[in-house]
Amino acid sequence: MEPSAIADLPATEIDDFDAVVELHWPRIFRFTLASVRDRDAAQTLTQDCFVRAYRGRERFRGDCGIQTWLMQIAVNLVRDFARNRRLQFWRQAPAVDPDNASEWIPDRSLSPEAKALIQERLAAVWSATASLSERQRTVFLLRFVEDMALAEIAAATGMKEGTVKGHLFRAVQAVRERIGRLE
Amino acid sequence: MSQHLSAEEISNWMIGGRTPHVEQHVRDCPQCQAEVVRLDETLAHFRGSVRSLTVPPAKWEPARPQPLRWVLAVAALLILAAVPIYRNLADRQQARADTILLEQVDAALSRTVPAPMETLAKLVSWEPEKGENK
Repeated sequence: MEPSAIADLPATEIDDFDAVVELHWPRIFRFTLASVRDRDAAQTLTQDCFVRAYRGRERFRGDCGIQTWLMQIAVNLVRDFARNRRLQFWRQAPAVDPDNASEWIPDRSLSPEAKALIQERLAAVWSATASLSERQRTVFLLRFVEDMALAEIAAATGMKEGTVKGHLFRAVQAVRERIGRLE
Repeated sequence: MSQHLSAEEISNWMIGGRTPHVEQHVRDCPQCQAEVVRLDETLAHFRGSVRSLTVPPAKWEPARPQPLRWVLAVAALLILAAVPIYRNLADRQQARADTILLEQVDAALSRTVPAPMETLAKLVSWEPEKGENK
């Protein structure tokens, strides 16, 4: 089952926490990884996310979907991590190189020119997302990677829907500008 | 087609702000349509590249109560609690032994004659009897 299909499972579904972990781990992990660009840190943040969720599962009343609730925890963890990292000026470069991530190609049967073009654009998007503010990057990833609706993003980030829209607009503008430089 | 969509209109389109006027324009203008399709595809590829980074779940170990850990914790607490009790008991025994020793020393010091002569000393009264001349 795709995670998006179970977004609105009733609260009782959380009783089988192992199943929740198995189902949602990839989604939470890729969000944290794309946000912090450090595989080890993303693994730790994902683990922390599920530990917090496990400890707070009694308080989950199903006001929002499990996915939104988990993403809410992950967004807070990523925010705290970003704040702490700003102080760690000695920290080395991120372990996930956007160039490596942009080597991904949708179809191996594409011509070398088409592959090169896609990879170039992907590198531009990765680079653009790195230069976004933490809030812009979060809403951009939730919208365009996790396919979350604006209302869901608002619930996960604690922002108003209009604020989400504003951050998303600026993020898309920045990405478009970066891609536009390639032309 | 008098005018193409602005950068803002295209960005707005990408985040779901699709007015009838913009929708009509995207349908009719090949250039703007190509721009929107190119952006859509690029974002879809980005989604694919991020999703390709996903790893399977790590071994999930929530902080579940572990019986052995509880047994060890209780045992440690009992040992810690027993130490003051034991020390108190030992102190009391020591104090009792000290008291007995002090009593023995006191008794020894208050003797008028050495211990072997005590029985003889009891037979001889050093105090003059009543009516006896001094």
